[in-house]
Parts: sequence; C-alpha cells; structure tokens
Amino acid sequence: MDDISTFLQIIFWGLYAGCIYILLATGLNLIFGVMKVVNFAHGEFLMIGAYITATIFLLTGINPYVIMLVSMLALIVMGAAVERLCFRPILGTGKLNEIFLSIGLIYIIQNGAAIIWTDEWQSIRSPYNGITVPIGTLDVPLDYILIMIITAAILCGLYLFIRKTTIGMQMQAASQNRKGAMLVGIDVERIDVVSFGLGCALAAAAGTLWVVSGQVFNPYIGSIPAVKAFAIIILGGLGSIPGAVIGGLLMGLAENGAAYLLGGIWKDAISFVILIVVLIVRPTGLFGEKED
Amino acid sequence: MNYRVLIIAALIIAAALIAGCSQSQPAQQQPSGTAAPGAASSGVIKIGVIASLTGPASNVGTNMWNSAQVAAEKINGDGGVTMKDGSKARIQLIVGDDESTATGGNKAATKLITDDKVDILVGGYSSAVTSAYEQVIADNKIPFVVTGASSPIITHRTDGIDTSYVFHHCPTTDTYGEYTTKFIDQVIRPAVNKKLGAAESRPFRLALLYQDTAFGKGVQTAVNNTITKNKLNIQLVSQQSYKMGDTDFRTQLTAIKAANPDAVYLGAFPNEGAPAITQARRDIGLNTIFLNVENNDNAQFYKDLGQYGEGAVIESRYSPYIAPAGAVSDAQNGFKQAYFAKFKTYPDMMGASTYDGIFIASRAISNAGTTDKAAVRQALVDLKMPQVVHAMKDQTISFSPDFRESTFDLWMEQLSMDATAGETRPKIVWPDNLKTTEFVLPSWYVPGPAS
Repeated sequence: MDDISTFLQIIFWGLYAGCIYILLATGLNLIFGVMKVVNFAHGEFLMIGAYITATIFLLTGINPYVIMLVSMLALIVMGAAVERLCFRPILGTGKLNEIFLSIGLIYIIQNGAAIIWTDEWQSIRSPYNGITVPIGTLDVPLDYILIMIITAAILCGLYLFIRKTTIGMQMQAASQNRKGAMLVGIDVERIDVVSFGLGCALAAAAGTLWVVSGQVFNPYIGSIPAVKAFAIIILGGLGSIPGAVIGGLLMGLAENGAAYLLGGIWKDAISFVILIVVLIVRPTGLFGEKED
Repeated sequence: MNYRVLIIAALIIAAALIAGCSQSQPAQQQPSGTAAPGAASSGVIKIGVIASLTGPASNVGTNMWNSAQVAAEKINGDGGVTMKDGSKARIQLIVGDDESTATGGNKAATKLITDDKVDILVGGYSSAVTSAYEQVIADNKIPFVVTGASSPIITHRTDGIDTSYVFHHCPTTDTYGEYTTKFIDQVIRPAVNKKLGAAESRPFRLALLYQDTAFGKGVQTAVNNTITKNKLNIQLVSQQSYKMGDTDFRTQLTAIKAANPDAVYLGAFPNEGAPAITQARRDIGLNTIFLNVENNDNAQFYKDLGQYGEGAVIESRYSPYIAPAGAVSDAQNGFKQAYFAKFKTYPDMMGASTYDGIFIASRAISNAGTTDKAAVRQALVDLKMPQVVHAMKDQTISFSPDFRESTFDLWMEQLSMDATAGETRPKIVWPDNLKTTEFVLPSWYVPGPAS
C-alpha cells in the first residue's frame, strides 16, 4: 500500500465517522435552533435507535437499512414524549434546569436500556457484509458507501422539509424569532414537538448507521458521541444546520487524521482542541450568528 | 444564548464521561488495620468484592461478582471457614461497584472498608481503575487480592503508595506479554519463514495495537522488553494506540496495514479486540494473524468475532470452551456447572480468577485464625494452597516474596471455525505438553514482504 492510498483511506474513514457526527449534531442543532434547550441526553437517542434496529433485525432478518425508517419513527414518538413530559414543563426556567434534566435522562435511558437489552457489548452483521466496491486504488466495503449516500439523502430531505413545507418554514420562523412566530399565529409548542421528534429521528438514523457498520454497542455508547456533537454544534455555530454538517465532517476528518499522525490517544482530544481554537478566532462558531 | 454555560457544562460532562481516570484521592478515614477482629468471632467473615457492575467493563465485572457468589456458596455449603479455635465462620460477600471509573473505584473501596467494614477485599479489573484506589487500600491497611487487573503496576508502584497489602492473583502484562512474544518467535516466525521460503535471518514483522492505559502500555512494554532482552529476531513495524472503550479502529489498522506486518498483537479488552479484528479483516483487508491477550477468552468475544476469528490466537489460562487435561479440567467443569445452574450462562476468565480469589481470601483468614488485617496479610505472604480452578505453577497458589504475585501455567490457543456453533472455537497449540493440535497459517493469510 503506498502513501497516497493510505492517505485516501484515512480520509474515507474520516468521512464515514463524519456521517454519524453530522446526523447526531444536525438533530441536536435542530432542537437547539427551535427550542434553545440544551439536551445532553441526545446520544442516548442514538443508542436507543441502534438497539431498535438491531433488535428488529435479529428477530426478523429484515434489511437493517429498511428498519432504519421504523427506528426513526419510533424515536419521533419517543422524542415527542420526552419533549412533552420533560422539557416543556421547564422551558424558560433556566439553562441549569435543562442541563440537569438531561443528565438525569442520560442515566434513566441508559439504565432502562440495560434492563431491557442487558449491558453486554453486542454487534450485528449487515447483509452486505463482505461486499466491497473498488473506488480508484481503494476497495471500499459497500456498507460505508451506503452510509454516506443515506446521510446525504437524509440531509437533502431535511433541507427540502425545512425550506418547502409549511411546518418547515414555521420551524425556521420559530428558530429566528420565537415571540414573533407566536405573534403571527404559529403554534410554537407544536413546532417544539416536531423539532424534538425530528432531532431524535436523526439520532436514530445515526444509531442505525452505527450498527450496520459493525460497530459494537451497549447502553453507554451514546455519551461520548453526544459530547462530540455538542462540540460540533458550538464549532459550527449554535442553531446552524450547515455549521453542523461542516463541523461534523471536519471533526470526523480531524479525529482520524490525528489518530494517524499523532496517535490514537489524540482522537478525542483533537475535537476539543479545534473547538477551543475556533472559539478564540471566531467566538460564534464557523457559521454562527452574533448573540442577541 | 449564553455560550459560556454551554461550553462549561459540555466540558464538565466531557471530563466526567470521557476521562474517568482521574488521580486517586487520598482517603480521609483513620487506618483500621489495628481494629479489633470481631467479625470472625460473630461467625461471619465479610469479604468485599470490587467489580465493575456498570460502565464499559460491566460485562466482565458482573461475571466477577457472580463467580464470587458461586465460590462463597461452595465454601459455605462445605461448612464455612475453619477458624483458629476450631469454630466455623460463614462468608458474607458485599459488592462494591467501581462503575468502570477511577472515582467510582475510590467510592466503592472506601464504602466497603469504612461503612461495610469488610475484613478483606477481592476483585479489581481495569488496571487504571484499580491502581487509582490503591491509596485507599494503603491508608486502611486492608488485604486485597486483585483478580482482574493485569498491569504489573498493581504491586510494582514507584510513586510511594504502599502496596504491601495487595496480592496479585492474575498474570501480569509482563508475564503474558513475554510469553506471547516467545510464542511468536518460536512458532509463528518459523511458520511464516517456511511459507515465504525466507531465511532464518529474516526479521519477523510484528505490529501492536494497544489500549492507551496502564494495561495496554504494559503489553507494549513487555513485548519491547522481551525482544530486547532475548535479542529476538522480531521487528516492531508499527505501534498504534487507542483510547479505552473506543469502537472505531479503522485509521490505526490502515496505518498498520501500510507497514505490511506478519502478525498483529492486540493489547485490548474483548469489546475492543473483537471489533478491531472484524474491522481489520472485513474493512481494511488486513488478512493476518491477530494475537490476543487472555482476557479476550470469553464467550462474547467468540460471538462478536464470528467468522473473522478464524486463525486468531489467544494467550489463555481459562477458556469457556476448553480446559487442559488433568485435575484442573474437573475443577473448571465443576465451577462452570455451578455457575450455569445459578446464572444460566458461563463464567469467563476474570470470573474464574475471582472464584479463586474468594478461596484464597478464605484460606488466608483460616490460616491466620483471625480477621486481624495484619495477621491475614502475613497469612497471604506465607500462603501455600492447592490450585483451585486455574493451573498454577507446581499446582500451588503462593505469592512471590518480592511483588506478591502468583504464578500461572499459561497456554496459547488458535481459533478455527466450528460449523455447528457458527463461530470459532479454540484449540491449544502451545506449549508442547498441553497442545492438542499444531498452529497453522490460514490459507487466506498474507505475510509481509519476503525480504
């Protein structure tokens, strides 16, 4: 293997990691953009999405890429329930309440999952396991190509939903000026439910892609990706969907580049090094707008 | 929006969730080593079991705790522990969950010692976690039989923390790192040379992928030292590390493949080793021999590996699927059956050494005839008892006078596909007196360059 080929492979793994981050961070940003709530339990929705897909796959043998839709629907329902029961009552009462509520949710969801699925590490094999696609000098497993295509498709779908549908435009309005949106008759509480549900559905998609790529999972896998997703949305700019996409890609590439060039121990640390540098140079993040 | 609150909170959470390896906090309580030994006189010996019941190592930790319970039931069922005055004492186990973190370990050890007032401690898995609460052990002068953490640092500390009450019943990374490296030199290297038609002088190209903790670095150090000390014809062509609990090893494996190794030695936990091998074979096309540390020899590892385990090698002392012929085989089968009857699953290696650990703690207290901690410590120093479920050197459990380490008989096993099980199963290939088959290079194996 020559140097160029190795370099291209590292980029490829960075793009793959970036896809998971993008979906997670975009969902987080969607919720933050509309509701302005801080939900540290977002990674737990990734974990639940992963388990739902894996469980249905193991029980039925249906293609996990198809099950992803079921998993996303289930997480829309779960997200809506969490929004109504947990976040709505404390909305506007202060960031600390949101932070501690979400930390409580982390433990509740993690332990709930451990009771249902046990806390042993598990993994599944995608039906396309072992199939590779030649791309230039690389032989790339088909699953990773599918993961990138699906991520791009979900982002396109999300763009169209936000730009072209009434509810999407209402979400934009609520995100830009919540009071103004209420004054013109938009039911912002309904928008909150939709945004939270959609954000969780994106986390479920990330969870599904996590398991089809053969990554092991247990009830605790969501914590670290959630912390990184927060770093990504602060990096990209709070509330900015393009920021989350660029930030996610940047993070995936930087992590894998750092693991290759500096050693594996730098993989997680580089996320926060980049975050600090960006905040020093541009305090609102790459695509963030100035604070009110 | 207040950025500062968000960022500070994110960093607090990051620190709490990612790091999990903070420095040990000196315990505040008074030493209890001289406390009156009342427990045994009341007919109960309290053994504290420190295990990771939650967090990333919970799979192994639960197995350790379950095994301790099976051991206690066996001892109590046989009449209990005989004390100096001839009376019998029952064993009472109390578990402390280290939460797979250093801070959790500190809490668990402190609670077991000060609140539950246990007479002796058994357990400890992650070396990083276990070494973090050794200050608590030292402050309280309580005997501790470590049955899971394998870094030599457990009893070789150079930072002034007193480990004289810590006894290590688990091969260290030094021991099995050296053992595995010698296997590579004596068995795999000649096989690769034969396949390549290469001269004996061709250096064997070994790559390392290790967890960046005391455990993983211990494996790395042991391999390097063994090569240097024994002047082995092994060249380390790539040494890659990763953070504990990582699930994506593709970048490190890509770098390893670029170095064209003849074999890869993993200093990894089972939840890391299985995905690493799978990613290497399936995603990277790294078709080589993967050597694994003994803690990977558990049922979940075989299940997670599936067909990608074919040809892999594990250094072992206890396997869910095989046992060396002889007395140990019966003991292991008895333990496995008792465990299965209670938990409907099978014990793993750390469970087996924790099972041993409860017997060791009981024997030490019996020999001391008291629960006085200094006396129990001395009994552990003087201990010579028959092996329990592990094959031990001279079939005897005793601790070395210098670093209080017991000596195990190890073996190497190679995995091959079992069509009935749908996954791989091990067979012993080394040493000669234990092997049931020969080590083979799989047909798909790709060595490094011939010269």
